[in-house]
Amino acid sequence: MTKFNFKRMVCGSLCFILVWTLLLPVTGRTEDDRAHRLLVEVDKNMWASTKYIDGRLIIDNGRRVRTLSMESWMEGVTKSYSYYKAPARERGTKMLKRDRKLWMYTPHTDRKILIAGHLLRQSMMGSDLSYEDMMEDEKISEAYTGTIDGMEEMEGVKTLVMTLKAKRKTKTYQTLKIWVDPAKNIVLKEEAYAKSGKLLKLIRFTEYRKVGNRLFPKKMIFRDMLKENTKTTYMFDKIQFDVDIPAKYFSQRILKR
Amino acid sequence: MIFQIALKNFLRQGMRSFLNVLVTALAMVAVVFNLSLYNGFQDQAVRNMVSTDVAGGHYRTPDFDLLAPMEWEDQTFKIPDALSSLPSSDKAEVLVLQGQIFPNRRLFPVQLRGMDMQQKLLDLPLNKLEEWGTPVDDVIPIIIGKQMAGKSHLHIGDGVVLRWRDRFGAVDALDARVVDVVPLINPRIDQGVVWMRLDHLRKITQRKGEVSWVAVKEFKGTIAGTEFQVPEILLKDILDLIRQDRKYAIIIWVILIFLAGISVFNTQFLNIFKRQREIGTLMAFGMPPGRVVRLFTLEGSLAAFSAVLVALFLGTIILGWFQSVGLDVSHLAESQIPIRENIYLKIEPVEVILSMLVIVTIMILVAWIPVRKISKVNPTEALRGRAIT
Repeated sequence: MTKFNFKRMVCGSLCFILVWTLLLPVTGRTEDDRAHRLLVEVDKNMWASTKYIDGRLIIDNGRRVRTLSMESWMEGVTKSYSYYKAPARERGTKMLKRDRKLWMYTPHTDRKILIAGHLLRQSMMGSDLSYEDMMEDEKISEAYTGTIDGMEEMEGVKTLVMTLKAKRKTKTYQTLKIWVDPAKNIVLKEEAYAKSGKLLKLIRFTEYRKVGNRLFPKKMIFRDMLKENTKTTYMFDKIQFDVDIPAKYFSQRILKR
Repeated sequence: MIFQIALKNFLRQGMRSFLNVLVTALAMVAVVFNLSLYNGFQDQAVRNMVSTDVAGGHYRTPDFDLLAPMEWEDQTFKIPDALSSLPSSDKAEVLVLQGQIFPNRRLFPVQLRGMDMQQKLLDLPLNKLEEWGTPVDDVIPIIIGKQMAGKSHLHIGDGVVLRWRDRFGAVDALDARVVDVVPLINPRIDQGVVWMRLDHLRKITQRKGEVSWVAVKEFKGTIAGTEFQVPEILLKDILDLIRQDRKYAIIIWVILIFLAGISVFNTQFLNIFKRQREIGTLMAFGMPPGRVVRLFTLEGSLAAFSAVLVALFLGTIILGWFQSVGLDVSHLAESQIPIRENIYLKIEPVEVILSMLVIVTIMILVAWIPVRKISKVNPTEALRGRAIT
């Protein structure tokens, strides 16, 4: 029978504690770095220096479905210009975003309106998106700190589930949860939470396709989880990256008939 | 002498005189009723607003506008010591912010109104909120008015999701429970308003010590960073509305007085036409034309004087009965008029006397106008009945 050695036991325990004390932050930091790298890759996939989109916004409020057809030009994350082509009621409506300001021009009134401050929080044309949601001008890797919660299979794809915490108190959604395909660096699902932890919005990114050297979804489905039977689908019928956009598109002079 | 003749002639006319008196008396009662109804309406609206919202005035930031909800979040301020030190019977701290509730998962934009539970200045039935003992980490207690409950289909005990923004702009949401549905006599603090405890609203929005306004019993002097809004300013829209309505009511008075005037005018006109021989006889016996005019004018005016007496009698009965039942104006609550209960007349003696005097003067005038031509009548022609055609 082995003789109980108190000295050996104390030494062993101390070594064990020491190793873990040294290793734990490294493991944590590695996980954090991995999460951050993944977010950067996701951003790289989604964001480009310039972008052109020919798309549709399908707004389903549970009683009727409206389809808005528009073209958008974007430069970086701070400038964008959209021109609404259909339906007839919205035809000619223009939206110009520059930094944190958004101007809207409607041909019926022949006036441009500055949508700023608290107005940005209102629903955009009756959709599940606010103007603020539409003009999201920060990369998630810059606005949030991510942690990996684990793996989850989603529609046959092994995804990493990540919780993102806002770096600033002023961020609309303080907590996001995303499902990322680590093999392709794409987000399949995003949930936005209130500070209390209540689920507010759900976004599904579907039908990813190759556009140049990127993977971009063809469809984004937004749901306001506090409302019943409503959803807004953003269809990207045509998308081009790194296109030349005339400077006049981001000038206020474009906001006229 | 002239009065006795006029009275005899007036009574001799029988039914014609009676109808003149009745029409004039009814016009008088209607005018007084109308005036008193507006007074009662204004009095009750002001009383309701003052007791539930306005009090003796508000200390607010100079740019605060209740009709600009987008700016409420930027127009809060830390309550100054001069106001926080006031006794609870002299002040009510109020914080107003934008929010949304989702009854049956439908979006319903609301005004979140946090009310100081210690205040005794405003008469608000919010004691159920005070009884809520548990913290607001999971469920927020709210109270809504009956009108709001009807619109949102919420009942006592119902749960509903409440969404708001904190002071930094981050969105937050929690479950809320309707702990009471209360009758509020002022629809302006009912429609679209969700009542909360001030400490709860401050906590969930991270606005410690902040208010949108402080209602006070009376002006407490100038306080830096705030502007005192006197009740007249806070009640301006409702007072303007009533003032405007009074202007339109004048049209009704004019019609009523016109009808009474026409009746007297017609009687007088017929009198001088039918009684030409009598006029001629009086003049032939030496009565000067001016005196004949006075006689006939007095005769016509007796209708107005008698109408005052009849109006007093009829008015006492009609207005007395009305005071016992009141007028149900609950339908007006839909249009934000701050009255939900029955309204009653407020009779101002000076107004009554003045309006009576105006009517009597007009009646004397219309009694005199048709008989003026008597002064130019030739007595011989009048005796033959051909002076006035």
